[in-house]
Amino acid sequence: MSSVQDNASSQWGIAFITTFTTVFLAELGDKTQLAALLLSAQSGKPVVVFVGASLALISSSLVGVLLGRWLAKVMAPQQLERLAGILMVALGLWLGRQAVVALA
Amino acid sequence: MTFAELHLSALDLPLLASTFLTVFLAELGDKTQLAIVTISGTSNRPGAVFAGSSAALVFASLLGAAAGGSLSAVIPTNALQLAASLGFLVIGIRLIQRSTPNSEDGVDGSDDGHSDGTGDESVQGSGDESGENGH
Repeated sequence: MSSVQDNASSQWGIAFITTFTTVFLAELGDKTQLAALLLSAQSGKPVVVFVGASLALISSSLVGVLLGRWLAKVMAPQQLERLAGILMVALGLWLGRQAVVALA
Repeated sequence: MTFAELHLSALDLPLLASTFLTVFLAELGDKTQLAIVTISGTSNRPGAVFAGSSAALVFASLLGAAAGGSLSAVIPTNALQLAASLGFLVIGIRLIQRSTPNSEDGVDGSDDGHSDGTGDESVQGSGDESGENGH
């Protein structure tokens, strides 16, 4: 927790890369893409569909970030970390089960 | 993709709106959003989390659109998701470890952090909340 300001930009980069990797890998082949692909196939206007889907994804991640900040305000840090950890483990088990079932 | 294709006409607005609503509603409460909530809640860089998650989501759907539905033929998506699930587990276990009173190096001012019993009670209470969110 010390010398936070010295490596502020590297912390930003680490947070960015961590989030990007986690979300990107989790999202590959997910239902959002499925919906987007279906819509683009039906409409024949893939650019419009892509723009709409992108705006929706950006909005949903904004909702997620704001929800996280709100939780950080109303909950004790230790309690939130524990809840977040349990949620992450649950998501990992669920995602892993999905992947293993699909691979098998 | 030419510039003319990128130019949206007013006729495209219903399609734009329906795509937005479909994808936005599909994303609400999704595992990805839950992951973003946890990362945002435990990180002190909300701007970086927002930028990273937005870029990842847009890039993933761009890849999906570019591959035209055959993404799993181009990229081993299931293997990558398996890797992602391992990453989730590692992050989660690290967070749980960090939140246990033993690993805390600061001065313990509260008395709810000492025994494991009280810690488990608080976990169960918050676990119910997360269960509601998950459904």
